[in-house]
Formats: sequence, C-alpha cells, structure tokens
Amino acid sequence: MLINYTISVFTTNTVGLLNRITIIFTRRRINIECLTVSETERKGVSRFTIVIRSQSREFVEKLVRQIRKITDVLAVFGYLDDEIVFNEIALFKISTPLGCEPLDVKTINLDWNAKVVHWGLEYVVVEKNGTEEEIHEFYSYMKNWEILEYVKSGRVAVGKTEKGLVEFLPEEGNWEIV
Amino acid sequence: MILGNAEKEFKDFVEKSGIPAAWTILGLSALPTSHELNVGMVGMHGNYGANVLTNSCDLLIAIGMRFDDRITGDLSTYAKQAKVIHIEIDPSEVDKNVKADAPVVGDAKAALKALLPLVKKADHSEWRAEFKKYDDEEYDKITKKDLFHEGNQIKMGEAVALLSDKTKGEAVVVTDVGQHQMITNRYYRFKKQNSMITSGGAGTMGFALPASFGAKVAVPHREVVAVIGDGGFQMTLQELGTIAQSGLPVKIIILNNNFLGMVRQWQQLFFDNRYSFVELQNPDFITIAKGFGIEGHKVSDRSLLSESLDTLLNSDKPYLLEIVCEKEENVFPMVPAGGCVTSIRLE
Repeated sequence: MLINYTISVFTTNTVGLLNRITIIFTRRRINIECLTVSETERKGVSRFTIVIRSQSREFVEKLVRQIRKITDVLAVFGYLDDEIVFNEIALFKISTPLGCEPLDVKTINLDWNAKVVHWGLEYVVVEKNGTEEEIHEFYSYMKNWEILEYVKSGRVAVGKTEKGLVEFLPEEGNWEIV
Repeated sequence: MILGNAEKEFKDFVEKSGIPAAWTILGLSALPTSHELNVGMVGMHGNYGANVLTNSCDLLIAIGMRFDDRITGDLSTYAKQAKVIHIEIDPSEVDKNVKADAPVVGDAKAALKALLPLVKKADHSEWRAEFKKYDDEEYDKITKKDLFHEGNQIKMGEAVALLSDKTKGEAVVVTDVGQHQMITNRYYRFKKQNSMITSGGAGTMGFALPASFGAKVAVPHREVVAVIGDGGFQMTLQELGTIAQSGLPVKIIILNNNFLGMVRQWQQLFFDNRYSFVELQNPDFITIAKGFGIEGHKVSDRSLLSESLDTLLNSDKPYLLEIVCEKEENVFPMVPAGGCVTSIRLE
C-alpha cells in the first residue's frame, strides 16, 4: 500500500544542489510526486519539500540518511501526513465563451472555498488552496466546464512540534533571522 | 581501518580478545597475512573457512566495512545467528544492510582504543581451530592445484606466490580488476601495513597502472608492483608514458591469459560455456612498452618464471614483465552471486 512521505531538506543556498539531491531519488527509481523549494526564515537557508509515495518506511528512512550525507545539506526530516501541517495551491483557467453555461461563483466561493482571481473576456481563472484530496475533489467539480489549463503547486509543510528550525541546524553557523 | 590508521589498535584488540579476524579486500594488509589470528578473506572469492563460519559465529564485529553484496551474498541468510557490533564512521552505513545489535559510530582508531581496556583477555583457540579444518580442505582442493600443478602453463597463483616470496611480502601491490585481483589477494602474503592498493567495490578496470605510479610517488623507498590483467592493462596503457617520463621504477606485471578472465569464468560456470566477447586478441605488450621507452620481456615458460621475476625486481628503471598464463583458469573458492555464504563452491 503506497502512502505519502514528505521529506523536508534544509540546505545552504547553493547552485546545483537540486541536482545532487534529486539524483538520490533517481538512483532508487522513485518518482517525485511534487517538489517545492524556497528560502526559510533563517539567512542563507533554503528548504526543499519533496513528496514521494512508498510502501516501506524502512526504505524512506534509508533514503533520508543518504540525503543527510550530501555536503551543503544541513538537516533532513521525513514525515508521514499526520505529522505535518501542509497545504497546496491550484489554478484553473476555465473557458467561458459567450453563451456557455455560467460558472456558479456562489458555489465556488461558499461551498468550495475557492475564488475567481482573474476575469478575461472569454476565460476565467479560479484559485483553490487545500490538501491534495480537496483540490482533487474540486477538480472533479470543475470538470463540468472546459478546463483550459490546470496547475498545482508542490506541498508546503511544517512539522507538528513546538521546535523551530534553528534547533536542528549545525551549531557553528550564523543563523540570523532574515 | 587502514584509512583511519588503526592497524596497531586493531592488532592489540585482536591479540587481547583472541578473536579470529578476517578481512575484505580493502582491509588486506591491515593485519599481517601470517598472523595466527588472521583467518583470511571473506566474500565472493574469499577463503572457505572465513565465509562458512560467518554463519556459525556468536558474535560478528565489523570494523570499517559496509557489508557490500560481494561479502554478504544473500542478505537474508547472512550471519542471522550472530550478534553484530558495527564500528563505522558513516552513520548511514549502520543498519543499512545488516542490523547492528551494537552500532558504534565513530573513528575506528578511537573506538578500538577505547574498547581495548574493556575487553577481557581471552583465548578462543578451539574456535580458531575450526577454521583450520576448512583451511585444510581448501588447501587440498584449490591451493595445491593453483600453486603446485604439473602442467607446462604458468598459473596466476604460482606467479603471485613467487612474487610474494621474492619481495618478502613487503612490496606495495597494486591490482587492477578481475581474476588476477582475486588471485593476488589470495596468494600474496602481506607483512607490512598499507600495502594493498585496489579499487575495491568500484571495480574499475584500468585502475592499476596509474595508481601504481601514484603509489610510487607516495612511497618511493618501497618496491611498488602493479599486477594487471591483459584486459585492464589496455584500458589505461597510455600511462606508461607518464611512468616513463618520470623515470620512477614502477614494476608492472601483466598476467596475460588472452581473456577477460572473470567474465569468461562466469560464462563458463553459469551460462553453459557460451563465451561471448571475452576472448582478447592482444597486441604485443612488450613492443608497446618499448615504444614508450620502458624495458620489458615476456615469459611463458614455467622454468624461466623465477629468473624473469628477478630481472623485474632488480631493475632500477620502470619494467614490464608479461607472464603468459593458462588461458582458462578459474578462481575458487567462489560464492555464486546472491548465494548464501555457506554455499561457497570449491570447484
């Protein structure tokens, strides 16, 4: 049974590091379901959030240990879905030519908690944020109209603990808040 | 352990605890081959006793090793009965292949130094003697044939054993990859530390020639001998130029059997002798060496082997000795790939 594992990798902001991290996945022939990279609240520290699906916890633990070995990687953590608070965002470009079935904006706003962010002449862009499942359900609803483009971001996630990032970074560094 | 300069601490530990010690090819020469508690090599072409008794021991202490598949064969049948202590500097290697009951993450030298006072002085001669039974059988079935056969052709084992005698086990030996590598591990009797240079798990053919030059630059006062197969030699033979240019007296031995020997062996044992692209039409190595300005000669007559090795070792310039060996020699013992260590084959 495949379950989601979220891997958070904290690194220095180095060019080419993404390649060195993803090759660990490539070598093990694991598909990366989604990936997000951005800066953190600490100066010079970037964070990768990678979601994979696996049957074996042991396998993911070994993977995390291999990522930990990379130079420029400061800390790595693996999480199950119930150990994190996470979210994703999706944009839908819907075709609305003259005379078509109108979008039910009230339902979209109130029932689905999504919003229209752009009105073009013959198209509209709707944005929804939520978990993968929630977005997937919304997608099924939006299929009633013609979806011109659909894009979903990677996951952003923080661990469900009272500890901050800095407690896991190597002591010798200067980790000031940006 | 060799990288960590822990040979002395290791010897003290082994002698105090009385525990027999075996080595992987990268651990060769950490403990002198002739040491009483040295029970030989483990792994695919390791010694009979060392492999079989891995699955009978109560305690397995692994120092600076990663439990590579060449050593373990089938992991589901490897040392399951033993408690495992794993002394290893890389935390991601601990519990990766074999679950350690007592992992010790740290430098081998520091760990062994700290453990020495905690270990009791003991004598396990009965256990040590168990190895002897297997060693004797291995000697009868394999070693004797490799070293003292009757035929006219030179065998790789006897060439290496003779080299070992003539260099008194004190040379730095650099091997390439293949049958000759395994044979060298089996028959060169190392006395000095840090004497074996090989590519180990990387298994890179062509390693030996440039590496032997590097070794000679590092230890110019020691005899450095490269033992290379005819296949691997051709992968980096342009380095003869670097050697000639430097003038350093690197000694090169090519064990020429006109085959990619190890691959041929597998094709013979596991693929019904369906030889495929393993026979090599070799160039004249001596002419090539002379072209680079390196002296050398070829020997194929058993009776001239000793004299040839003398010429090689006495030269104060770089020298290439091509030893024409029996074409289809097999290296035993062998644990078939992915097999259990106790199902090691002797023929």
